[in-house]
Amino acid sequence: MKENVASTIVFILLLFLNINLLNGQSPPGKPEIIKCRSPEKETFTCWWKPGAQGGLPTNYTLTYHKEGETVTHECPDYKTGGPNSCYFNKKHTSIWTIYIITVNATNQMGSSSSDPRYVDVTYIVEPDPPVNLTLELKQPEDRKPYLWMKWLPPTLVDVRSGWLTLQYEIRLKPEKSAEWEIHFAGQQTQFKILSLYPGQKYLVQVRCKPDHGFWSEWSPESSIQIANDFTMKDTTVWIFVAVLSAVFCLIMVWAVALKGYSMVSCILPPVPGPKIKGFDTHLLEKGKSEELLSALGCQDFPPTSDCEDLLVEFLEVDDSEDQQLMPAHSKEHLDQGLKPTHLDPDSDSGRGSCDSPSLLSEKCEEPQAKPSTFHTPEGIEKAKNPETNVTRTWDPTSLEGKIPYFHVDGSKSSTWPLPQPPSQHNPRSSYHNIADVGKLAMGTAGASATLLDKTDKHVLKSSKTIETGGEGKAAEQREVESFPSKTDQDTAWLLPQEKTPFISAKPLDYVEIHKVNKDGALSFLLKQKENSDQTEKPSAPEHSKEYAKVSRVMDNHILVLTQDPRAQNLALFEEPAKEAPPPLLQKDLASFTATPSNCRLQPGGLDYLDPADFMHSFQ
Amino acid sequence: MDNKGSSLKGSLLLLLLLASNLLLCKSVASLPICPSGAVNCQVSLRDLFDRAVILSHYIHNLSSEMFNEFDKRYAQGRGFITKAINSCHTSSLSTPEDKEQAQQIHHEDLLNLVLRVLRSWNDPLYHLVAEVRGMQEAPEAILSKAIEIEEQNRRLLEGMEKIVGQVHPGIKENEVYSVWSGLPSLQMADEDSRLFAFYNLLHCLRRDSHKIDNYLKLLKCRMVYDSNC
Repeated sequence: MKENVASTIVFILLLFLNINLLNGQSPPGKPEIIKCRSPEKETFTCWWKPGAQGGLPTNYTLTYHKEGETVTHECPDYKTGGPNSCYFNKKHTSIWTIYIITVNATNQMGSSSSDPRYVDVTYIVEPDPPVNLTLELKQPEDRKPYLWMKWLPPTLVDVRSGWLTLQYEIRLKPEKSAEWEIHFAGQQTQFKILSLYPGQKYLVQVRCKPDHGFWSEWSPESSIQIANDFTMKDTTVWIFVAVLSAVFCLIMVWAVALKGYSMVSCILPPVPGPKIKGFDTHLLEKGKSEELLSALGCQDFPPTSDCEDLLVEFLEVDDSEDQQLMPAHSKEHLDQGLKPTHLDPDSDSGRGSCDSPSLLSEKCEEPQAKPSTFHTPEGIEKAKNPETNVTRTWDPTSLEGKIPYFHVDGSKSSTWPLPQPPSQHNPRSSYHNIADVGKLAMGTAGASATLLDKTDKHVLKSSKTIETGGEGKAAEQREVESFPSKTDQDTAWLLPQEKTPFISAKPLDYVEIHKVNKDGALSFLLKQKENSDQTEKPSAPEHSKEYAKVSRVMDNHILVLTQDPRAQNLALFEEPAKEAPPPLLQKDLASFTATPSNCRLQPGGLDYLDPADFMHSFQ
Repeated sequence: MDNKGSSLKGSLLLLLLLASNLLLCKSVASLPICPSGAVNCQVSLRDLFDRAVILSHYIHNLSSEMFNEFDKRYAQGRGFITKAINSCHTSSLSTPEDKEQAQQIHHEDLLNLVLRVLRSWNDPLYHLVAEVRGMQEAPEAILSKAIEIEEQNRRLLEGMEKIVGQVHPGIKENEVYSVWSGLPSLQMADEDSRLFAFYNLLHCLRRDSHKIDNYLKLLKCRMVYDSNC
């Protein structure tokens, strides 16, 4: 019996429960506070979201308590904020205070509470959008029209007392456009837009943000229509321009079609190719400079024939072991003495005043003990004494380098290393001479004399021939090189040696010894140079045809000159003990020495020849 | 003839008067910005307030960023906010809690209040920098902001003292401020407690810097722009 009653009661209870469950009624679900906002930092509102309803009418209450208080309050206003909201007015709002807010849901079946939410009004400020946005198109007289917009801060916000500081932002776009153009406006309540497309309808919006809060929503759109008053003018102009261009193009096309090719060639003439008369580019490719140059109409290179006035007599260079230099000189040149010659490869180099260092190292005015490659200058220095004959001046012992200098007289030849008068040019000739001399020097095994040939044309030619020669070069070169070794310099002597095997098969060239200056340098005249150039020396006319030929080179690198077979053999210089025909030499040389050493070194003249230039010329 | 002479004299006198007037008037107008160290220099109240507001705004921005970074990095899920209730050392200072109270208080009192709050933070800021530096994996962003806040706070204090000196010169009140005693908490061994101490300090700093910024903006509009900002 009892058991039956108990089980019955349990059964009924379960039945009730099931009935209730079948009806869907349950205690309310947990609500959730979603958002709390303050529009002006003086009031705030909180909204919540209800939980599961539970099927029964649910009552929601919001309770809170403030930081530092223990009293729990209930929401003062459920209506103002809308459904499921709580509005805290100014009286109930404290700034810089944390509110702990909870929402309770209650129904017949039960109740539930939300999680507490900690809210500080300071950090939840989000104002309303600005109001009264007005747009105006301003058109000043001499400027482009611009859009002028104004607005007011939201009504609730107290900006005047400084309680809130607002910053604004505007955005605008043409009606049809999809992209907004945003501008930050700072704390000002007006803005100008200067770049506008005429004929468009613009939409404008504005929003604001407090100094430490959130941006408001965008205000409602304001629109304005921009008039397109001046576009008509533009259009007309453009139409006119377009029509003109079309007409022009049509004319061009028609003309081209009619005239065809001739028109095109009239407008775009063919570009002529470069052409030099007689110039064959193939020759250039092959590298045959001679042919090429001949094609150009040049003379032999070095030039040989045209410059008659530049012709000098060449030194005859013999291939034999005891080759003798045969400087050709005219008697009158001999009288005039020998002047050292120096190369003047170009107008700019090697030139200097008597003060500039020279290979000769001694200037006309004062001998300088310059350690030039050519110690013959030193020897020449010693020859200052006009009384000393050439032999003395050319004392080989005094000369370390023992290189005789032959000064080619004449404006055209450059003496090397003596400074060249500025008027002198045509370095080629000097190179040529030196080459010849070098050849001779080589041939005489050790004595290197620079005889300068003034003629331009011959220089290169001779150097060429020098280069082509080759016998006994080594010995000669060595000998010649010994000069620089003594002198410790790369001299022009060295240059020709390096570059040109001095031995050449060229027939002997002759030079005219013009005169010897006080330094004992021999100056050579061009072969056909007028004797009048050698004004310094009162030379006997019969000497004009005399030539000096290097008979041999002495051990001390002294050139022994002999006169041309046609003329007398002259030993230009020799060691005192030399067995060169002294009488002749002395006779001739005396005339030389008698020649006042006319310093060829004119003021500003060349003092020396730069070996580099020499090298250059021999390339 | 006489007329001419007298009119000449008169014009000369006029010129003299004009010149003297100009010289006198000059002293009334506001002077340009003073070089530092100048004694008799008078920067206008407007300039002083403008600078002070810029500084206070900047300090609050830094504090807010610093707090957010610390919160994101160290305080997630720890429920620190529940404990950081009524725990600021400056709560003993009776500061206005809303706009009405702030507008009712006298500007001199408000200025003094600002000074007090600023002074109360000298010590905590100094220790905050030292302790953040010593933190394991010292967060560079937080440390640099702390250093900056400390420096700017000092400058703001100087500016405020200048303003007070201009507004009611001569009255030198006792230096009242709230003493901070949270240093031991910052140095606790327990990481949770130590982190909460930092959280609390940064939370209070954010709040107080906002207060100072708000009060100064109120004062500026009231005193310089005559409540018409």
